[in-house]
Amino acid sequence: MSAPAVRIAIAPHCSLTPAGAWTFFLATCGVCFGIAALLTLRGYWPVLAFAGLEMLLLGWALYDSLQRRHRTETIIVTENSVDIEARESGGVSRTVFPRHWAQVRLRGDVSPLAPGRLLIESGGKRREIGSFLTGQERQRLAARLAPLIGGMAESPPLPTVQPRG
Amino acid sequence: MATHAQAASHDAHDHKPHGWRRWVFSTNHKDIGTMYLVFSCVMFFVGGTMALIIRAELFQPGLQFVDPQFFNSMTAMHALVMIFGAIMPGWVGLANWLIPMQIGAPDMALPRLNNLSFWILPFAFVLLLGTLFVPGGAPAGGWTMYPPLALQAGDSFPMMIFAIHLMGISSILGAINVVVTVMNMRAPGMNLLKMPLFVWTWLITAYLLVAVMPVLAGAVTMLLTDHFFGTSFFTASGGGDPVMYQHIFWFFGHPEVYIMILPAFGVVSEIIPTFSRKPLFGYESMVYATAAIGFLSFIVWAHHMFTVGMPLAGQLFFMLATMLISVPTGVKIFNWCATMTRGSLSFEPPMLFALAFLFLFTIGGFSGLMLAIVPADFQYQDSYFVVAHFHYVLVPGSLFAIMGAVYYWLPKWVGHMYDMKLAKLHFWLSAIFVNVLFFPQHFLGLAGMPRRIPDYATQFADWNMVSSIGAFGFGFSQLLLPYIIIKCVKAGAKAADRPWDGAHGLEWELPSPAPFHSWEVPPSAAVIARGAEH
Repeated sequence: MSAPAVRIAIAPHCSLTPAGAWTFFLATCGVCFGIAALLTLRGYWPVLAFAGLEMLLLGWALYDSLQRRHRTETIIVTENSVDIEARESGGVSRTVFPRHWAQVRLRGDVSPLAPGRLLIESGGKRREIGSFLTGQERQRLAARLAPLIGGMAESPPLPTVQPRG
Repeated sequence: MATHAQAASHDAHDHKPHGWRRWVFSTNHKDIGTMYLVFSCVMFFVGGTMALIIRAELFQPGLQFVDPQFFNSMTAMHALVMIFGAIMPGWVGLANWLIPMQIGAPDMALPRLNNLSFWILPFAFVLLLGTLFVPGGAPAGGWTMYPPLALQAGDSFPMMIFAIHLMGISSILGAINVVVTVMNMRAPGMNLLKMPLFVWTWLITAYLLVAVMPVLAGAVTMLLTDHFFGTSFFTASGGGDPVMYQHIFWFFGHPEVYIMILPAFGVVSEIIPTFSRKPLFGYESMVYATAAIGFLSFIVWAHHMFTVGMPLAGQLFFMLATMLISVPTGVKIFNWCATMTRGSLSFEPPMLFALAFLFLFTIGGFSGLMLAIVPADFQYQDSYFVVAHFHYVLVPGSLFAIMGAVYYWLPKWVGHMYDMKLAKLHFWLSAIFVNVLFFPQHFLGLAGMPRRIPDYATQFADWNMVSSIGAFGFGFSQLLLPYIIIKCVKAGAKAADRPWDGAHGLEWELPSPAPFHSWEVPPSAAVIARGAEH
């Protein structure tokens, strides 16, 4: 009997819904532009320019933070393959590696502004996973994947009991 | 956060960068929080030194140490340094340290932006303090930069405006980061009405910052164009309206006061229940009261400028709106008192600072009510009574709350307990000298002593001498604070994960010292429920 596939799904947590973000953003725009409009009507238009810049920044910050919610990565390790499916707002991408020739590589932090990367590599191909995780989370995920996938030219037996995940 | 949740083990996983890169490139909320707090402490001593120069000059009538121009520079620079360099970065530092820990997030939502918002600040203050060395000296027209006086400044003028822009950018970046973090990074189950009051007050503070900072940026930019590009926004000779500058400035300036005090309400709302060993009385009413204060802060600005002349209806509106603020503020004061009633009180340093806040901020609130009354304000305007009022709000108000917060969370930050005796000594010296310093200023103001003067009539000599003695006592006793902190960082009894037995909140579920990343995996619902016992 073959061992069942191990499936690990990772996703960033978001407490804000897009509707909530829009409501918040529009309410803030209403307040900021309302104040700025009153001052502009009296001739003090530079306030409007700064309000616009600030709302652009707030909008970008909310958008950037909300992008997290569209991301999921599912790693399915079977007897023969490592299947990575990444879902983002732009669509779905899928990469399949032969398990026997795949390996997990965790690159350390180059600098705090260029955090480490968790890669699955095989035959010159590589795929990054968990880029939204913290450094420690990436280390934990790497520690969990390494014995499942094994080193290059290695196919360690998969656990017969499905782990949490 | 990752769904491959595993039991968090925080023992030896702090893979943090070392050396100067750790600080310069840091995107970690705790490191950035630490940098903000250190910066705030340094600026507190810079601004404090300026205050001591002012009080040394005022120790007795006549000109003793500095010329009037430099004296006026000191008053303006003291205010700018203390507001934008000490108090606000102090609160942002605490927000950085605490908000992710309290909402169950691993870090701030926008860590690189967080790094940028801190590192703008040192450049802003190099620029601002650099004005002390340019021809014409530092800005001497007050931190409010009223035209036409501000427009007559020397080379310091554009430097000050650029410095204020940088401080504003830093504040906006910090505020947006707080807003996005609180909105989007809360742990599952941490709904808005389970958030600790410190997070709530910061969320409202950040909203105020986002709302008013464009107004400040616009106002100072218009000053700049009036000075250099021939516009006449505020230049009367060109058809501009200098009084309108005051309206615009205080439309920013009054919410700014609440920006400095609302997080203090949050801190006191954390400390008092802990040392009363009771849940906070009226949590939801505290949240709504904070929101009400935030809203009212937008419609009271003209109480700073009753004497410029405005219609009677305007005077009445701003007077009544200002007095209305005492209602939600009273709700808070009574709720804190109700929290302590029949509590099992103990008086560790954080509680002492919180209690001093309660008593002394209330004095500042009452004198604020006096200033809200238009006919009375005509007498008090620009007198030392106003100086006493806002210093009671900002020093035993904001500053004591920051110090209380540092003493409250320091064991969590560094993993050691601090020297309780020294901390209590620091408190008592501060509490006594702050009153010796500022209480006599009420008498001076009521007797008619104007603010921002280096020399004064001999009738004001006695209380000025007392006030200056208080200033030096207060100033030198603050040296204890960094000493206690450094001593605590280096050594001390190991702090328990929950060093205060009455403490609730997610941050106390983390080990002491808190790990490099706060919540590697989200806290469980049970942990959140335990932490949310307000």
